[in-house]
Amino acid sequence: MLIRAVATVAMLMVFGGIAVSGERTPAPKDARVYIIWPPDGAVIRGGKLWVRMGIRNAGVAPKGVDMANVGHHHLLIDTDLPPFDQEIPSDRNHLHFGGGQTEARLEDLAPGEHTLQLLMGDHNHMPHDPPLYSEKITIIVPPY
Amino acid sequence: MTTMIRQLAACLVAMTLFSGIAAAAGATAPDNAYLYIGWPNDGEVLPANRPFRVWFGLRNMGVAPKGTPKPNTGHHHLLIDTDLPPLDQEIPSDRNHIHFGAGQTETMIELPPGTHTLQLLMGDDKHMPHNPPVYSRKITVYVK
Repeated sequence: MLIRAVATVAMLMVFGGIAVSGERTPAPKDARVYIIWPPDGAVIRGGKLWVRMGIRNAGVAPKGVDMANVGHHHLLIDTDLPPFDQEIPSDRNHLHFGGGQTEARLEDLAPGEHTLQLLMGDHNHMPHDPPLYSEKITIIVPPY
Repeated sequence: MTTMIRQLAACLVAMTLFSGIAAAAGATAPDNAYLYIGWPNDGEVLPANRPFRVWFGLRNMGVAPKGTPKPNTGHHHLLIDTDLPPLDQEIPSDRNHIHFGAGQTETMIELPPGTHTLQLLMGDDKHMPHNPPVYSRKITVYVK
């Protein structure tokens, strides 16, 4: 609900020609972000796993590092992509890896289905232009 | 063999430490940092004349481009057909020591037919191995 409201506001601003924050960091055209592991549909017993975050044709840098062709990973859990013209939220559903990490440890996934998706952020936690995000995958945590 | 090299390396580090010679000190790395080659597997047979992907696995530590002095980060170096270099000096940069100073976390390489070894070594913002050094197991691949 809130997300939809935010998206609507963002769209209004874009289409109304209001520059929101203007300068997004350009991404290399051939860069690709993907989840190396787990594969889509994986069954994760116990709900604990390492998510391996992959990027091709671009590099990883900690937050605050303003260089070309780099960014840091964000892991989106059980949520859709946020608006691309705003800072990526930081909460339980949007995990930031501002230390330049390339793997994420998840330990408290409840039984059920969960979605995972990666989104790169630049030195200001803004998505690149064009945004670099992975496919959204679903994993299943069986009942204990 | 690998154990011997590791022991030798450890010996060297210990000697340097205990003789009180200030070797150019590498940045500090977390004790639980874990570096590994995610692909290919040890003993993998790879087809000749076809580049293959090598992905760099790193846990409990982050990636940063060269020249970025952030705690608990470094950049990857892929050692091909060579042993670990001295751990108190800058990592060489040549055909056998490939630097990934742009924060890359994977690469494509092509090797001539034969037996080859691959190993990863992290370098700090100045291309020095960390303290303690962070390196992967050395693996062997067969190109046929």
